[in-house]
Formats: sequence, C-alpha cells, structure tokens
Amino acid sequence: MIIKYLRRAHLAVAATAVAGTLALSGCVASNPGGTEGGNGSTSAAFLTIPREDMGTFSRNFNPFSPNAAPMTGQSIYESMLVYNPANGDTVPWLATDWSTGKDGKSLTFNLRDNVKFSDGTPLTSKDVKLSVELQKKLLGGFDYVKSIKTPDDSTVEFTFKKAFTPALYELGQQVIVPAHIWSKFKKPGNEENPKPVGTGPYTEVANFQAQSFELGKNPNYWQADKQKLGGIRMLAFAGNDGANLAAISGDVDWTQTYMPDIQTTYVDKDPEHRHFWFPTTGAEINWQLNTTKKDFSDVRVRKALSMAVDRDQVTKVGMSGYAKPADCTGLSNNYDKWRDTAVVEKCDWTKRDVEGAKKLLDEAGYKENAQGQRTTPAGKPFTFDISVGSSSTDWLSVANIIAQNLQDVGIKATVDSPDWASVTAGYETGEFDTGIVWTANAPTPYQYYLNLMGSQNVKPVGKQTFDNYHRFSDKKADELLNKFVSTSDEGEQKQIVNDLQARYSELAPVVPLFAGPEWGAYTTENFVGWPTEENPYATLSNRAPTTVLVLTSLEPAN
Amino acid sequence: MSFLLRRLGFYLLAFWASITLNFLLPRLMPGDPVTRMLSRSQQRLEPQQVEALRTLMGVDGGPIIPEYFAYLGRILTGDFGMSISRFPTPVSEVIASQLPWTLLLGLTSLIIAVILGNLLGILAAWRRGGFLDSIAPPLLVFIGSFPYFWLAMGALYIFGINMGVAPMRHAFSVGLVPGFNLVFILDVAAHLILPALTIVLVSLGGWMLGMRNTMIATNSEDYILMAEAKGLRPHRIMLNYAARNAMLPSVTSMGMSIGFIVGGALLTEVVFAYPGVGYQLLGAVQGLDYPLMQGMFLTITAAVLIANFLVDLVYVRLDPRVRKG
Repeated sequence: MIIKYLRRAHLAVAATAVAGTLALSGCVASNPGGTEGGNGSTSAAFLTIPREDMGTFSRNFNPFSPNAAPMTGQSIYESMLVYNPANGDTVPWLATDWSTGKDGKSLTFNLRDNVKFSDGTPLTSKDVKLSVELQKKLLGGFDYVKSIKTPDDSTVEFTFKKAFTPALYELGQQVIVPAHIWSKFKKPGNEENPKPVGTGPYTEVANFQAQSFELGKNPNYWQADKQKLGGIRMLAFAGNDGANLAAISGDVDWTQTYMPDIQTTYVDKDPEHRHFWFPTTGAEINWQLNTTKKDFSDVRVRKALSMAVDRDQVTKVGMSGYAKPADCTGLSNNYDKWRDTAVVEKCDWTKRDVEGAKKLLDEAGYKENAQGQRTTPAGKPFTFDISVGSSSTDWLSVANIIAQNLQDVGIKATVDSPDWASVTAGYETGEFDTGIVWTANAPTPYQYYLNLMGSQNVKPVGKQTFDNYHRFSDKKADELLNKFVSTSDEGEQKQIVNDLQARYSELAPVVPLFAGPEWGAYTTENFVGWPTEENPYATLSNRAPTTVLVLTSLEPAN
Repeated sequence: MSFLLRRLGFYLLAFWASITLNFLLPRLMPGDPVTRMLSRSQQRLEPQQVEALRTLMGVDGGPIIPEYFAYLGRILTGDFGMSISRFPTPVSEVIASQLPWTLLLGLTSLIIAVILGNLLGILAAWRRGGFLDSIAPPLLVFIGSFPYFWLAMGALYIFGINMGVAPMRHAFSVGLVPGFNLVFILDVAAHLILPALTIVLVSLGGWMLGMRNTMIATNSEDYILMAEAKGLRPHRIMLNYAARNAMLPSVTSMGMSIGFIVGGALLTEVVFAYPGVGYQLLGAVQGLDYPLMQGMFLTITAAVLIANFLVDLVYVRLDPRVRKG
C-alpha cells in the first residue's frame, strides 16, 4: 500500500529530494576548499577559537575593511609594536626601537632585519609608508602626519604638523601590508584579498567554509621557533549561546565571550584544565549626563547623583562581580600606572553616601516636596530617562539598579531601552537625558580625557558628533591636553595626567561607574602558555593587538 | 498556452512591483548604515573617518531617481553591488556562499514534513474517529505551538548534550573537507538530524490537519461511494482517488513554502550554529545594509514567484478543471 503510494508523483518527489540533497552537498563541496586542512594525528593540533558575532564567514582578509575576517589583523598582518594594557608594556615587534624628535614633531622607527612576508619578499620601510598612506586614504585619521620618509630599507621617519605624542601608538599599531601587492590595486578598499600575504605567524588560508576556516603556518615567519601551533581554526556561531556551548563541551580552546557564572558553567566541568581571567583593563563604563540640560550643568547635581549610586551593587549584581567600582579619577585599570593615588585618597563623590547626596541636592536647590520627590529649582519634578541598548543585558541591569538607587534620594528615573542604534543616534545628536556609555581605551589616557572634558569634539545639540556625547568642555582641561601631546618627557606627561585627574575629580563631567572587564577563558587541555593574572604578558582577547603575543607564546600541552 | 502566457505576464508585473518596493522600503528606515555599524561595534572614530568610510562604501547619499534606474539596470545584469556589513564582499558572493545550506536544510525539512504530514492526514481521515485521528492532530498541533527556539533548545539538550546521539552544531564536522564522497554526505546528513527534526516537529501539525480536513470533505463525495460499491479495495480508493483529489490544496501550500525557504531559518541557525542566510538577513536589516537587504529580498521574491509559477503549472497537470479550452 505504501509502495503504491510511493509510486508515481510522490516517488518522483522523493527521488528529487534525494538527488537534490546529493547535488547540493556536491554544490557546497565544489567550493574552492584549498588543501587538506585536516587535523592529522601526527601533526600539531589546531588552536580552535569560536566567533559569535558573524554567523558565517566571508572570505575577506582586507585589513582596511571594517568587516575583515577574524585574525586578519592579529595573525596574518602585524604592526611595528604591540601595547599590552594588562601590564602597560610596549613590546617591539616589527620595529626594534624608535625615537621621538626633541620637539615631539617627528618619530623614527627602526625596522627589524630579516622579516619576510609569507611570499618570501623582505619587509622594508616602503611597506610601512604605503600602509600608513592607505589607512589615511581609505579610513581617514593620521591628519597630523606631514610627511613619511624612507631614508633606507629599515628606517621610517614620520614628521608631524604639530606635536602629538599618542602618535607613537597609533602609528606603531598600524598593520603593515606588502607594498609590492597593495600598490598594484586600483581600488584597494574594495579588494577582498582572498589569499592574503602578511608577516604574521599564521597566514595560509585553508579549507575556507561558511562555518569555519583554518590558517596554516607562515612558511617565512621571522620567529619560526615561536610557531608551535599546527594552525588556527576559527568557528562561526550566530550568538553567544552557541559559542558558549561549544566552549563548555570542550570543542574550542580559547573563548572571549561573556559567560554568566563562568565558574560553575565552564570551569567546574574540568577544573584541572579550564581557567578564566577577566582583568578589568577594558574601557571604563560611565553614566553620562547631558550637560546641555540645565539640571546636569550643575556640578553639585552631578556629584550628588554619583553619590546616590551603589557601585558595589552595580558591580556585584549587574556585572556578576566581574567589574571593579570606579574611583574619582575615572580611570580603568588599563591606566594603573597613570593613576594618581592622591586623588584617589581624597575621593568623596564615588562612594555611596545617601545623606551626602541629599545634602548636596538641597544645597543646589533641588528640594524634596511633600511626597518625598525631588523638584528642580523651577518647581518641576526632577525626573529623567536613563538610556541603554536593549541587547546589553548586563548594562540594562546596571541601569535598573541605578534607577532603584536614585529612589532613595527622591528622584524618579526611568530606564529607556530601545536597540543600540537608536540609543547611539540619540547620543550623537545630544537628544538624550542620561545614558550608559562606553569610553575610549587607547594606550594613554589622552583620548579618554579628551572625550570627557575637551572642547575638540563638542558639537551643539542637533549636530552629529561621535565623541563627547555629553557635550562638556573645560578650558583648563584643554590646556592640559594640549600640553600632554606636545611633550614626550615621561615625567612631565605623568604630572600633566595627575593634573587632569585632579581637574576631573573637581568637575565630575560624567558619573564613572566601573572599569570594564576584558573577557577571556581557555583550557590547557591542548595548549599551554596562556597569559594569566600572575603572568600578564597579554590579555585573553583574541581580537586585540595583543593576540599575536599569545599566538607566539602557546605551545602544545605534553 | 494563452493561460500560461497570461500567468507569466502577471508574474512579471508582480516581480517589477516587488523590486520597486525592495528598493524603497529599506531607504525609508531612519539612520544610515555607517553609524549603525559603528554603534554596534562601539568603535571610536574621528568624524572625518566616518566620512571616509561613507565614501569608501558608497553611501554618501545622492538623488534617488537616478539611483533607482541604476539599480534596475544592475538587477538585469545580476550585479547587486557590495555588501556594507560584509564590505567589500559582493552581495552575490555573500548570498551564494550561504544559500546552499539554507536550501538543503529547508528542502529536507519541508519534504519530510510534507510527506509525513500528508500521510498521517490521509490515514487519520480514512479512519475517522479511530485511534490515529483522535490522538495525532491534537498532539501534533500541541507540539507545534511551542515556541520554536524552546523546542530547538530542548531537542539540543536532550538529544545532543544528554544522550549524545546527534551532532550539536554546524553543517558538517569541523576539519572535514567538503567533497562529493560518502563520508562527507553521511556527515552532512548526521548534522541535519537535529535541525531538520525540530523544524519538522513544528510544522507537522499544520500539514496533517490540512490534509485531513480536505480528505474528510473528499471522502463524502459520490464517486468514493461509487468506487466502494464497485468493489475496489479500500486502500486503492484511499490513495488513488480520495488522496489524489484532496492533495491539491497541499500542493499550493507546498509551493508557497518552497519559496519562503530561501528566507532562511533564523532561529535554527542561532540554536544549532547552522550556516545560512537567516542570521545574515537579520544582521543586514539591523545594520541597514541596503545592498545585502535588496539582494536577499530579491532572492526571496524571485523564489516565491518562481515556486508559485511552478505550482500553477503542476496544478494544471493535476486538476483538469483548471485547464481551459
């Protein structure tokens, strides 16, 4: 009976389905897969890393593209130096040393000898020159660079229009591409670069599929003794959950996704091999108040609001204990060697102090009415919104905790959480009350304080800006910032940053909340040599400039 | 013949209307792609860098009418431009690299669900009030009413994690090089088990109910009674006469479903990390990636229209009453 049913049209349908399945797998199979990238039993194992933000991979290894495939800037291409925020060191990489001119208007790098690209061509200063020029042309930036000279193959001289000491890190961490290939492209920005040629440790793309790809060893790497991995294997996932599940099942070696309660969900399943380390060297997370609004232009109000926030609750409950409460310098632990302990000791407005907050608000004219609600001096009830993007569940908890804390001083705050695109659009045009916001995390605190107190990026409400959303500026801070970039004397720089911290503590341009953690977890089942709290030679990020330090330090376990 | 030509003309008109809407709708959304990209990655760029990115990706804005005609021209040559969220990969490459997996998953699940669902519906209707008829429809509809991602995660947990009988993620084992050989095909089939199972479970109820209801109506027709009176065997009547006539609405639904397969199965891709266009489309909409959105919507529209056209042709073959003259 069933066989009769399967006769005729239905048999045809079933046959088509089977044939279609076979044809489709053949269709997928005809993808240029490259060489046999299998995990041979005798060769070294592949370092397996999940990537949760992409869903599928596209074969795009153009380092000038904002959406290049993972590991493009970390394993395929390298830069002249690597700044490690975990311990504040600067590691010479493709350059062996550098020197700044006396007036701070020039910077010279000496390149390492015997560095070759993966196709055998030696690295020269011309490659550095072209890379910086391409970056400037395609993605903007480097406006302060006046000229680039290449007196010989291993020296690059940059001259600047005005002194700018952070240029060391900006130029130093620029990825270097081979000039003999990139100068030939008519539209370098539109190149997919499917077979990249770089100086990095693992450059040979193999077995590129939508769900995974492999990177094999660079045959001409300048640190051949540090290429102990068989290669790198990237896996694509569509969201945190898939990536975390793979980590928990032990199918990946190194993950950088946020995992709630990581001790029980991940580490306890194999405590001998699994570890995590979340150093709070990420960007500082602030609660910004729109200072173009009358209420928030008063420093007493800002400090009072800051005193109402219970940062212990915020970090323990909102951030699962992974973050560290902020102090009056507003600096994250990335800048520990710049932190001025004098400012920290005199700190009074970043600890929870409900009585102090009430007193300050009364002083500023924001008295409580008969129902216990604060009113502005104009007599209106003091209420406002706290904006945060809905997809960041941890920051959403933080905003809710702040709203609860504010009730203790009689202020009613509402958490407004559309998607991040709308929130950011509101920040950019200055059309918001308050909001949770990220900050710059460059190697020096210059950009950080510039975006908090400098007038450079302040735009009026309605005009789009990409920095200093809260639109606060201070002349004294401007002076200090200008002095910072023009001096390369470390002692002077430290003094200037101390003054900046003191000024920050005086003005409280934003309410600092906590130093953000850099996520990272790993297993020593297959590979050892990971950075740890005791040995912070890099962070555990697999998409940061320090990633190449980890790639060249790992070796197979056993 | 004239029937076919008229149908073809209608489909061309529908196609033109949909590609025009395809062009207009994304541009009605507020915001622009570059700032969306930046806000999602919380990247910090100078204003002039944002401008440079805009120029690089070609979203500096311009008059809309010439852009529309350029878009129409490019469609005819099959050039969809470069994706913004995957810059500079061309849109056709983005879609082509992921579409085969979506089609594989979608077609496999659909065919299994259709065959199984219709079979169950036929059997249930033939023995109305019997055991199958009382249990299966409510049970399958109940299962199908669960939120899909809950069902998918449940299946992943039970079969993948606890029992370990099926692979838990991706389309094939990592490290395997795709090739037209038995090992790879079996591996792909194994990885299809959980995703396809969950999709089939969710959609089975619908197919079964539809077929059962049409069958019940068909069973009351006079020719069935005539066939029984003539002494034909019950199974022959059930399949060759009743089911064959009751099949027609199922065929129409199947055609529509085939078209929508190319939209991707977003939740399946998220839960099972299965490569496909669904997650891509979500990302494109969230990131205001006009070229990729246009390319995807166009693909979906074309697929639905072609599937409908094919169903029309098949219908003519199946149901003589539709033919004219």
